[in-house]
Amino acid sequence: MTTRSILRAIACAATALACLSAQAQDIRIGANFPLSGPQGSYGDVFMTGSNLAVDHINADKMLPGKLSIVYEDSQGTPQRGVIGMNKLVNVDKVPYVLSSFTGVLKATAPIAARSKTPILNGSGVAPELAEQGPFFWNVLPLISFDVKAMLPYLIKERKAKRFVLIYVDETVGQAVLKEMESTLPAAGGELVAALSIPASLQQFSGIAAKVREARPDAIYIASWGAQQVQIVKQLRDNGVTQQLASFSTFVLPELEALPESKGALYTTQHVNWDSPDPVTRRFVESFRAKYPGKQPTIYAANFYNSVRLFALLSVELQKKGKPITGENLLAQRLETKAFDMVGGRIVFQDNGTVAAPMQVNEYDGKSTRVIAVLPVQ
Amino acid sequence: MLLLQLLINGLQVGALYALTAVGFSLIFGSTKVFHFAHGSTFTIAGYVFYWLYSIAHLHWSLATAAAAVAAVAFGVFMDRCVYLPIKRHEGSYFTVFVASFGAAIIVQNAIGIVFGRSFISVSTPLSASVELMPSLFVSPLSGIAIVCAVVFFLALQVFLMRTNVGVALRALSENPELVRVFGMNPRRLSTVVFALGSLLAVPAAILTSASAGLNPAIGHHVMLISMAATIVGGVGSLRGAACAGLLLGMAENLALLWFPPQWTDAVSFIVLFAFILFRPTGFFGRPVAS
Repeated sequence: MTTRSILRAIACAATALACLSAQAQDIRIGANFPLSGPQGSYGDVFMTGSNLAVDHINADKMLPGKLSIVYEDSQGTPQRGVIGMNKLVNVDKVPYVLSSFTGVLKATAPIAARSKTPILNGSGVAPELAEQGPFFWNVLPLISFDVKAMLPYLIKERKAKRFVLIYVDETVGQAVLKEMESTLPAAGGELVAALSIPASLQQFSGIAAKVREARPDAIYIASWGAQQVQIVKQLRDNGVTQQLASFSTFVLPELEALPESKGALYTTQHVNWDSPDPVTRRFVESFRAKYPGKQPTIYAANFYNSVRLFALLSVELQKKGKPITGENLLAQRLETKAFDMVGGRIVFQDNGTVAAPMQVNEYDGKSTRVIAVLPVQ
Repeated sequence: MLLLQLLINGLQVGALYALTAVGFSLIFGSTKVFHFAHGSTFTIAGYVFYWLYSIAHLHWSLATAAAAVAAVAFGVFMDRCVYLPIKRHEGSYFTVFVASFGAAIIVQNAIGIVFGRSFISVSTPLSASVELMPSLFVSPLSGIAIVCAVVFFLALQVFLMRTNVGVALRALSENPELVRVFGMNPRRLSTVVFALGSLLAVPAAILTSASAGLNPAIGHHVMLISMAATIVGGVGSLRGAACAGLLLGMAENLALLWFPPQWTDAVSFIVLFAFILFRPTGFFGRPVAS
């Protein structure tokens, strides 16, 4: 063997070792988002936030290796969600999964518990999401916060007394119904009609007739995805002029662009996009630079926060010399409790939920503006 | 007043159902092909119109013409390039059905890839209702839908009754061999049937895109309604399919008087089951000897 070939062999071995070392330090987390299907628009919005967080974490070299996200398409359905979650934890072996949609979240929560992999919910708001076990974390307030904030606001500020609820007869819709039935009488309002609809319904002219007959002051819509666009458009097309209101699922580019949604109100957790706090300011500035023409949304912030939370916990684990596993991440979250995030400091409750002040947003025909900030209910 | 409002809504929806149901019934009755992809014809017409009118900003008449061309081309393509080769190789009725079903899924996915899987709707001032009397709102689209259904159905009847091709088409549904004996080409007539049936879905698709919106999977719903209307109306009866489409639309809307809105879809099938149990021949169908 010549000296040259020995040197070449040593160089090859060194390169291979370097590569192996780099790969070992690279970290992948999972995301189980609706990337196609009727709810595909949400996936696009969620990815804007999660991808931006990855950019920031890698730019800051917060982790020893490069962070990346393995995306699976849940299509917003429990069946596809379970397939995606199984692949993420069993094949890709990710230690942490971002996820969305109540049906998907509930169906995949047992897999998270079994595999000890935290699921980060950045969009689902059903109340039972607070009861899915220690490996199920919510970075947004659940539906009761939305309803408890919006109804008193409509009664006091918009002088609404008579309410009609149009709700998808599934978990979230039923939760809104229950919350309205309990909140409205105490707040001085009345639920004059509750119209349940299937998630696939597309024809709302008959519903509009029923709404008009009930003569409400305000209509609360508990639906999601593109169906909301049809509800709003067809209610307005069919002579319903009363105040429309909803919760965080109303954050949808199609609704923002719909002329008929002008004046519609919806609640989200409060985020001051003009806040001077460095995390929020960096998020907003980078978002506008990375996605020209788009405005940051609450969902983008939630999934940014979800990825950021992973990085913050991982940094702490590294300091202690502990590996990044689901169990260690949970232990660290229970120990740290409060985190600086987009929108301010998030404090986790023991059941994996967060409490936050709410804001009332209004579509003005072209964009969204915040018209009220309400304290934690 | 709610009853009157729901009747008018039902009339609009029923008119659109009737148009697609008559198209399906014409194809099924004449060629005995269970053209499941008829729902895809509806979807293609709707999306072509949406794309040309809302995105490319073409005049509505040009967009409508293009939607009609696309729908007819798809129907004829299915007949010539899918069903005919299968029949030529003596494929069974079931094989033809599976091929049709497969084509519908391909179309649904292709449209999803091109246009996305979300709902789309054509924005037009015609969908905005006006208050005719207190609490009675009617949009110009309702009138257009009813007029379209009447005009298309009458035109079809005139075509079938008064033209040589029309008479031959009626004969095709009765006895294809007899048609051949008279020197006519059943294959060519079959193409005409697919073209006509597909054309009937076009106004329904365009009006639906403007009133309730479309999504790539809407073809399945259209097919279920068309199938139900064909059975309720009586297999082979175009008049029956039209009446049944109207009935199903009315039933769906009037059900809101007594049931929560989530049950409206089920109403169509309750009507269907009732007919299967108590009047299996449908409105105008002929009894089948066992």
